[in-house]
Amino acid sequence: MRTHVSALFAVVLAFFLLPLPTQAAEGDETLDIVGHAADGYYLAFEPFAKVELPRILLEENAQGNLTVGVYGTTAGALRSGNYNLIVEENGTPKTLTTPSEIDGAIESGKHLYGSLAPKQGSIVLDFSFTRHLVYGLLAMLVTALIFIRLAQRYKRGIGREEAPRGVFQNLFEAMIVFVRDEVAKPTIGAKYERFLPYLLTAFFFILFANLFGLVPYGAAATSNLAITGMLALFTFVIGQVYGSKEHFKHLLLGPEGVPWWVRPILVPVEILGLFTRHLALAIRLFANMLAGALVIFSLLGLIFIVNVVFGASVAYGASIPSVALTVFILLVKLLVAFIQAYVFTMLSALFIGMAVEEHHEDEPAPEDLDDGRGELTPEFGGDGTALEQRTRPQTPEPVAS
Amino acid sequence: MESIALAYLAAGIGAGLVTIGAGYGIGRLAGPAMEGSARQPEAAGDIRTSMIIAAALIEGVALFGLAICILLATV
Repeated sequence: MRTHVSALFAVVLAFFLLPLPTQAAEGDETLDIVGHAADGYYLAFEPFAKVELPRILLEENAQGNLTVGVYGTTAGALRSGNYNLIVEENGTPKTLTTPSEIDGAIESGKHLYGSLAPKQGSIVLDFSFTRHLVYGLLAMLVTALIFIRLAQRYKRGIGREEAPRGVFQNLFEAMIVFVRDEVAKPTIGAKYERFLPYLLTAFFFILFANLFGLVPYGAAATSNLAITGMLALFTFVIGQVYGSKEHFKHLLLGPEGVPWWVRPILVPVEILGLFTRHLALAIRLFANMLAGALVIFSLLGLIFIVNVVFGASVAYGASIPSVALTVFILLVKLLVAFIQAYVFTMLSALFIGMAVEEHHEDEPAPEDLDDGRGELTPEFGGDGTALEQRTRPQTPEPVAS
Repeated sequence: MESIALAYLAAGIGAGLVTIGAGYGIGRLAGPAMEGSARQPEAAGDIRTSMIIAAALIEGVALFGLAICILLATV
């Protein structure tokens, strides 16, 4: 199996070193490597097993009726005889139609990298389970279980009338209070409590999804643009649904006090800016999580580049710094998992805050509205410096230069 | 050079330029932010928050560029 893996790496390396038509022949093998970062219709437990996931396909048959095809595995769908398999060969798509060809593809494991095409009709939507979906659902389940258990404890009074007990509750209360006090309150202001459930859910879902990417055989659901795009869409919709009158006025009529002839320029910019902000929110999380995986593959790939260029003995030596760098990047990824969850929550809160904010000159600053109602454990909420700092009038000290 | 080779070259050069831009931007941002929080430690929390927001926005633009580079490299 090791030779198998190194052969695959050599293929990738050749792909990168000589990007010429001869290398395109191995296109489907290179997918296997990048496939660890990309989505797929299987859970990879290599070298032990590859678990294929169910396929659910909404199809339109030859008569124009919609039908649903449900199969336990991709191989099962192909063996049912209803589908042709389209695989990439020598850079061009090739359709496998006969059962023997398809069986050959299943034997070699190529069927997981091809696409299904019904013999009659066409696929309207592909609802199949994929690796990212499975780990996304797992992250959702973990988030739900933790929050339900925590809520039950607070309902019983633990943490409200007395100090929070145990590692579990203390750990999560620290993070929840952080999101509330450092993220939601300063950016949204007085109405932060309404948006706190969403922000907490987003934070913990992203955090667990990111952390699943660091578990062996796991995958980061957030390295999928569909999932991050959906999260950004939630932020967008919440911002617009709870948006204040001023927000829409600002958006559609331009900022107050600008000359009328600037408005035709500013209004499209404002509207584009609104969409770009949320698009960037999705891309940021997606690209960060994908980049970490790709950097690790690149660093491990160095061993095989050295193997080809300088020979095997040098490659053994090169594996030491390569593995050390990989460990370093994995630790950076652990940091990034937290930072990106924080950044996504922070920017979501900021965008929601920008949308729901109402401009009243005489309104007190949001910090002054802190009445401590939301405190989980007021008497145990840290040493009180955070609260003191927020209520204390800011007197700038003389700058010592 | 043929077009695929040029695309790979463009992706590599583009990734480098994006990194330079993002590095310069975040460097310009983080330097004064650190100076500011050293001069006025009680404002460090606020400075850190707004620094992270601005850094995330710079990073967002850089990642747009990187996404295009990845697309170029995987044609």
